[in-house]
Amino acid sequence: MASALEQFVNSVRTLSNHGNLRELADVITKSSEVLTKNLQHLDNVLETLDVHQHSLGMLAVLIAKFSCPNVSLPDNRFVQAREFILNCNVDQVRSAPDLFAEFSHLFTNYLVEQKTAIKGIHLLKLAIIRLKYLSENQLTSVHADLCQLCLLAKCFKPALEILDVDIVSICQENIHTNPNIPHFDAKYFLLYYYYGGKIYLALRNLDRALYFFEAALTTPAHAVSHIMLEAHKKFILVSLLLLGKVQQLPKYCSKVVVRFIKPLSQPYNDLAQAFTNNSFTELNNIITKHAEVFNRDHNMGLVKQVSSVLYKKNIQRLTKTFLTLSLTDVASRVGLPGPADAEKHILSMIENGQIYATINQKDGMVVFSDEPDKYSGPDVLKTLEDELSLCMEFNNRILLMDEEIQVNPQYVKKTAGLQEEEQPSKSSFAM
Amino acid sequence: MVVNNIDKLAEDLERQELETPTGIGSPQLYSQLLAIYLYQNDLCNAKFLWKRIPVSIKTSYPELGQIWTVGQHLWKSDFPATYKALNAVNWTETVDEIMKNVQIIVRSRAVDLISKAYTSITLETILVMTGLPADACLQACIEKGWRVEPDTKMIYPVRPALKPLAQPSSELFKLTDFVSFLEN
Repeated sequence: MASALEQFVNSVRTLSNHGNLRELADVITKSSEVLTKNLQHLDNVLETLDVHQHSLGMLAVLIAKFSCPNVSLPDNRFVQAREFILNCNVDQVRSAPDLFAEFSHLFTNYLVEQKTAIKGIHLLKLAIIRLKYLSENQLTSVHADLCQLCLLAKCFKPALEILDVDIVSICQENIHTNPNIPHFDAKYFLLYYYYGGKIYLALRNLDRALYFFEAALTTPAHAVSHIMLEAHKKFILVSLLLLGKVQQLPKYCSKVVVRFIKPLSQPYNDLAQAFTNNSFTELNNIITKHAEVFNRDHNMGLVKQVSSVLYKKNIQRLTKTFLTLSLTDVASRVGLPGPADAEKHILSMIENGQIYATINQKDGMVVFSDEPDKYSGPDVLKTLEDELSLCMEFNNRILLMDEEIQVNPQYVKKTAGLQEEEQPSKSSFAM
Repeated sequence: MVVNNIDKLAEDLERQELETPTGIGSPQLYSQLLAIYLYQNDLCNAKFLWKRIPVSIKTSYPELGQIWTVGQHLWKSDFPATYKALNAVNWTETVDEIMKNVQIIVRSRAVDLISKAYTSITLETILVMTGLPADACLQACIEKGWRVEPDTKMIYPVRPALKPLAQPSSELFKLTDFVSFLEN
């Protein structure tokens, strides 16, 4: 074994044993070149290290192995990565989130190239759970990798457990590239919300999908990101599907969104305009006119769903004007071919709780009713309870954050300085 | 009985699929999981499962396609075609029980929908939506307390009543929590 490698192994061993993780991380970043140069010996290095005691050392070796373009056969990298994720030392790996993130990206790319995305899903999910990112509601770039794998494998259910958790903090991954300003690569933040939105969309959880696209769109930005642009297009479509109109963007949205992204998705704005006018002919004209754009963006399927939702929206509008209406009238007013089609649409809307109505087949009439719920059922109570506990949790979270800021040395220094100049300090948060 | 533990079985199968060393599951695994998704009325996941099954398995194992045909009809809420597709095939032992239960649950969903959506309905429509023969269907309607008009063959379904509140003591506990939060 080459001497540089020997030195690497020795320092990994001693530093791991002394628990001197910060120094170890430095050694590892410096020795990446040594590792990539000695690829043929890396398996031997792995054998000398213990997966639990020397997790960081192994992580470095694995990164070197995965980042090398041509590999000698047999390719044992998947097995080694699997072994590592299953057995690594949680504390050690958590001390170097940047290394683990790099490993995760390389591992993901490797699986994508091998076209076996499905194999990595449970491993990355397990990693997020094992490293306690899930229980701490913390976002890492591993989350984005997991979503990417799920999308490629067309297997979405495993991601839900991760996506359903509301993120409250972001892992500061890039500590070593610039030690003064730890930060998180915005690309992975955007990707997480974009991919997550797509997953929810595929599983018809439109509410959550809209929220995810909105989160991607409202990310503070000074330049247009392609991810944000695509998120905006999908945001418009989902918003039409769910609400029947385009949801207003919140005020804290960056200026670039209004100035550049909106004009860039003009076909979608046209579509939304036609949809809000409730006009089928206009809508279909727009769809044929911009078919090429919609196809290129892979949004044609969604666009078609939007056009079929217009029937439902028009039926919903009827409920505001009429109490009873014959099925034939419904059909002619919303532009459906016959009463049977109208009945089918109404039936599916009743099933999904989109309207409250009853059909009387004897006279061929529909009776539209108000919301039948008297707000006394157990379901209403349950919703109320859930919402309240969410609010309570949210309030606690804000109090905690406020406290954190109040004891932040920089903040204290600034407010103290202000007071000296006899300016009253203003608390940013008061309950 | 499989159906009592169906959620557990589904979880097991999902895990197995993810942990197979090749990334490709066995035809039995896919067909059971697909059938279970139909049973759970989880058509989105069924659709994507169908999409990710390798073509070679689909062609060598035609039953998968037959299960998915049922799923497609369910997607369009085409009741007659669903029952037809369910009864057209002699299901193999792997999925037989689940598919039989798919039929039962689709029918019970149809009955729920009828009682929610119709104040009067022709016998014919009920037959189409439940896939039952006429006498059995009439019998079932009478048992449910739905009024049948013999000469016009009109049936008047009854709306199901709301379920009563469960466990008032725990509700009270939660209420105190909320009040103490709001007061402070």
